[in-house]
Amino acid sequence: MQRGGLKALVGLVALMLVAGACGKAKTSEQGQKSKKPLLIGASLPLTGDFSEPGSAAKQGYEVWRDMVNKAGGLLGRPVKLVIRDDASDQNTIVSDYNRLISQDKVDLLLGSFSSLLNIPASAVAERNQKVYICPACGSPDMFSRGFHFLFFAQPARAVHQADLFSEWVVSLPADQRPKTAAYPAQDDPFAAPVIDGIKEKLEAAGIKTVYAKVYPPDTTNLDPIASAIKSSGAQLVAQGSVFEDGVALVRSLIKVGYNPKTMFQTTAPSLGAQYANGVGSGNTEGIFYAVSWSPEADYPVNKDFVQNYIAKFGGQVSEIPEDAADGFAAAQVLQAAVKGVGSLDQKALADWIHSHTVNTILGPLSWDETGAPQQAFILAQWQGGKSQIVAPKAVATSAQIVFPKPNWQG
Amino acid sequence: MSAGRVNGLLRWALLLAALAVLVAFPLARKEDAYHQTVLFLIFLFAVMSGGWNIISGFTGYVSLGQSAFLGIGAYTVALVALQVHVSPLFLVPLGGLAAAASAAVLGAVVMRTRGHSFVIITIAFLFLMQTVALNWRSVTHGSNGITLPLPRWNSDLGNMPFYYVMLGLMVLSVALSAWIRRTKFGMGLIAIREDEDKAAVIGVRTSVYKVLAFVASAVLIGVAGGVYGYFLTFIDPRGMFDILMSVQIVLAALLGGRGTIWGPVLGAFLLVPMNEITNNYFGTSPGERLFVFGLLLGAVVLFLPRGVIPTIRGWIDRFREAKRPAPTPRPSASAAPRTAGPGAAPDLEEGAPLLEIDGLIKRFGGVVAVDQCSLFVRRGSITGLIGPNGSGKTTLFNLVSGMSRADRGTVRLDSRSIDRAPAWHRAYLGIGRTFQITRLFKQMSVLENVVAPLGRFAWAQLGADAVSGPEARRAQELLDFVGMLPLADQPAGQLSFGQQKLVELAQVLMLEPQLILLDEPAGGINPALIQRITDLIRELNQQGVTFVVVEHNMPLVLSLCDPILVLARGRCIAQGSAETIQGDRAVLDAYLGEGWSRVEERLEV
Amino acid sequence: MTRQLIQTVALGLLAGGVYALMASGLTLIFGVMNIVNVAQGAFLILSALFTYELWTRLGLDPILSIAVTTPAMFLLGWVVYRLFVARIRHAPASMSVLLTFALAITLEGAMGLVWKNVYRSVTPRYFASSFQAGSLFFPRAQVFAFLTAIVVLAILYVLLTRTWTGRAIRASSANPQGAQLVGVSIGSVAAMTFAVGVATAGAGGSLLSILYTFFPASHYQWISRLLGIVVLGGMGSLPGAVIGALMLGVAETVTATYISIRWAVVVFYLVILVVLLIRPQGLMGVRLREDVAL
Repeated sequence: MQRGGLKALVGLVALMLVAGACGKAKTSEQGQKSKKPLLIGASLPLTGDFSEPGSAAKQGYEVWRDMVNKAGGLLGRPVKLVIRDDASDQNTIVSDYNRLISQDKVDLLLGSFSSLLNIPASAVAERNQKVYICPACGSPDMFSRGFHFLFFAQPARAVHQADLFSEWVVSLPADQRPKTAAYPAQDDPFAAPVIDGIKEKLEAAGIKTVYAKVYPPDTTNLDPIASAIKSSGAQLVAQGSVFEDGVALVRSLIKVGYNPKTMFQTTAPSLGAQYANGVGSGNTEGIFYAVSWSPEADYPVNKDFVQNYIAKFGGQVSEIPEDAADGFAAAQVLQAAVKGVGSLDQKALADWIHSHTVNTILGPLSWDETGAPQQAFILAQWQGGKSQIVAPKAVATSAQIVFPKPNWQG
Repeated sequence: MSAGRVNGLLRWALLLAALAVLVAFPLARKEDAYHQTVLFLIFLFAVMSGGWNIISGFTGYVSLGQSAFLGIGAYTVALVALQVHVSPLFLVPLGGLAAAASAAVLGAVVMRTRGHSFVIITIAFLFLMQTVALNWRSVTHGSNGITLPLPRWNSDLGNMPFYYVMLGLMVLSVALSAWIRRTKFGMGLIAIREDEDKAAVIGVRTSVYKVLAFVASAVLIGVAGGVYGYFLTFIDPRGMFDILMSVQIVLAALLGGRGTIWGPVLGAFLLVPMNEITNNYFGTSPGERLFVFGLLLGAVVLFLPRGVIPTIRGWIDRFREAKRPAPTPRPSASAAPRTAGPGAAPDLEEGAPLLEIDGLIKRFGGVVAVDQCSLFVRRGSITGLIGPNGSGKTTLFNLVSGMSRADRGTVRLDSRSIDRAPAWHRAYLGIGRTFQITRLFKQMSVLENVVAPLGRFAWAQLGADAVSGPEARRAQELLDFVGMLPLADQPAGQLSFGQQKLVELAQVLMLEPQLILLDEPAGGINPALIQRITDLIRELNQQGVTFVVVEHNMPLVLSLCDPILVLARGRCIAQGSAETIQGDRAVLDAYLGEGWSRVEERLEV
Repeated sequence: MTRQLIQTVALGLLAGGVYALMASGLTLIFGVMNIVNVAQGAFLILSALFTYELWTRLGLDPILSIAVTTPAMFLLGWVVYRLFVARIRHAPASMSVLLTFALAITLEGAMGLVWKNVYRSVTPRYFASSFQAGSLFFPRAQVFAFLTAIVVLAILYVLLTRTWTGRAIRASSANPQGAQLVGVSIGSVAAMTFAVGVATAGAGGSLLSILYTFFPASHYQWISRLLGIVVLGGMGSLPGAVIGALMLGVAETVTATYISIRWAVVVFYLVILVVLLIRPQGLMGVRLREDVAL
């Protein structure tokens, strides 16, 4: 009764192995020409849950490739990107990176988007002892595995993203400093850790936590939270938001009539006109946020990046996705290492990155021995209906900081 | 048969060759991490699909939440490994244990539910596990997930340990399926799938079987979860409790052939490469992968519900067998085999009541099907049970055999109340029952149908061969007795109605019942066969079997049965010999309507 | 303390009313056709997306758009039934669930293709304000949605009790053979029921769009909620669905307020498991056939 099944099965297995052998044969014709392109491989979520940031990262890589090739390539060779789509799926990204390494035989790797994908993918890279630089892998557990070849190309891990904000709060004179704080956060691996980081630093400085709750991602109605914050009387509100919930909390606070002395939100305020329209432009005044990159920051190559991006993809400067800039920066780090070492020796590259600081469009980046970055995100604040960089001083676009936060305009 | 032996050896040779190729592959192609990864995923899907197949293919309870066990296994192994600092690969059996335990606990709910409720339970369970993993942050790190350190073996080995462990699991999974299929346990599961109530009535302890099947379906998936988590070095709620993975393993099993042994493996070999190919060569846009899966699943369910391979094989088989004529039943020349159980010895208290029904009431919504019915059946009699349509005869049979539970009243067998006994227990106590419209297990052969009934429940019995020597012989004797032996290997669904009735009778006799309830044994069959059945009944009765016969064929009832009980509107309105019943006014009223007896009176005058 | 309790219960009832509308279709379809329509959640999201389109392109208020989405979804339900579901009406329960599940993920895929995986919600002007009653506040959107749900459920009730079609549906639910004997065409009634069931998802989805953020994969959490409601109320019982919805709406908000917001959704899953363990027919389900093994 199972005869047919077994025979069909055996036939299939045989077919697959033959197909596999053919597949390998195709890529084994390798010439030794020195102008042979330098293959850089990455698997990105171009489809699925993370498709938006994934596509933005791809844009960043592509702008970088164009700029590098215009300047003569890397090690004198033209750069060619081999980008696969992992469809935001863990199994696919693992087989993609295996494929890039063993089938496509790429020379260098670049990382993917989202810690959920980067964690398994970086394990593949580490097993194969290949440098893995990711533009978006700030999750706390990313760097606890003792990897040597892994690097995160942003100024700080999630927990340290808001360090400049925390430092500013602590630096305030004691009579002006907020005494109590509320920490509402969405249950999101990118938002919640940032707030945890702020909470840790501020508690250590003696600021009392009067509200700390995590809410599910689909929460639309933040009235109960605003109401609870009002009851707590918190003078500082730091929210781990994504977008809708950031806008919603502001509107809810207006509804219940509560204005904290100062307020910080993740991500939402960085979305420019979308945010201003959502909360009402009069209500943005004084709200802080942190970003890894700003088009206004006067870091080397940043203006070129902005120009090249607009030329290739169009749109407004304020609409350039942060993820594209992060992707560009990751490629910059790779480029600097290859130039610095002068070869494609992965171990040498890893050692070089560990011991050097690289100037990128996100600012100078350097890493500890686990591959975690040691800088801080840019601290920005809405002032007069516009976003202004207020820290670090080197790239600040506004010398003043709005504090205390003026009342809502309604 | 030597052709069969050769075929059998050929299959083994093919099997070993395929296995050898798979074992040798990573050794021959050490550098090929990509294909090793793809094969690893194929093996994983085969194991998961194989597990699904046990509860959904064999037992017929469709689960959409099997990947919950993958996650349970993965989290368990990872958490323990991080505590005790042992390589997770040594701890993977713990994953299986955790999965089996959760399946056993969930089994309490599973035991009492039927098809559509079961699916809902599995979906709820999967989402519940995902939510727990997301929110129990102190243990599971919530949405950040758990990271495991890289494997510490020599990097020359690459992914080979994962590959071989998963290959081993796949082999185990196939072996488990094959073993189950061969045993009484497997036969019971298939009986449950085909007709759960009937299975209970012939002695299959359905509640226990279902839970066991569920546990068996979960255990290997749990082990695979432990390996998979380590392979990814990352375990998070989103990836580990993924409903899409559940859908994919269902699709794999359906493609390869649901309810077969190799189907899940074949399906995995089809599905995973298909995934890879579409991903690499066609490139998908958001939602396209889901869309294609949905369409594929829908198409398979609508057009090829048994699976691609079995359907194609079915077409081929049917084409081949179109010309062979069906054999006709021959009456047996041999003496009737031993059929009566110990409680039915002819001289033991003949005439005393074997079955007593006291004040039985059964309501369906507003309808009272059985209304304060009280009657008794004498041991050793062939008692007829007649009455107009809707008088409650079949309901009464259901209540006695245990397929329905009465609202009030008692049923006593041999002076002992059996009200609390479930259907399968009543089968063990010696009640057998046939159905108005035969209920055989259509996918099983005639012989398998007759062997299926179980006289008792024993854990050891589960592992016994489905069709063993002595049982097969007895079944063949019974089939010979009813004249159906030539058809022993045919699928029961292909028999004619009359043939099925005879097989059902043989099936009932397998349990050596002391009381047989026959529901319209002569309904819908030709007169020659009716005579045959009547002779069989008489012969069995002489050996001490008590019969209750529901019939509409009056000549048959009047000639065969004594006494005759008349049921109308849910209660017994008359009883006695054939003559008594024929003249009873109440009986005539019930059958013909109240005006009749008055008309008759006037005519007599 | 009591103020918070009253507030919580009130919010729960408001949510429950809308849940009742969403669950009515599911229980109706099961009652007549013995099919668990796992795609009901996907239909809800589809309707929510339609509503979103109507709102962004035409500025049509989402509650008013029910007049458009309900008939549109009715039509869709009818077509889906005739093309796909009709074929498996007589197949075992397991197959029908697989089919409706396939339908759900096909819809999810299609919605992802057209609308992308972006969180959306519809935000008319009243969405951010509340009615005040003493120290209690009732968000306007919730109140309007609740009232609308009541109205639509009332219309459904009238449909089922006063029209011939409605009575035919109820007859088929109670006794298919009997219904056939009195001249009810089971096939058309089944199509009608499915279409009505999906139409209620049309109305429910429009309300969903105001009250919750949604994206194509949200249908999983919605079908989980609806299954919990229908299991609690008794599969096939419309009054049961209403009562179950109100009870679970309150249970959800109480859990969110007093235990943790994150665990609130678990209430639905636990209800499913507990009810099926203890009292499989739910609160008001009638066991006409023995669907639980002894």
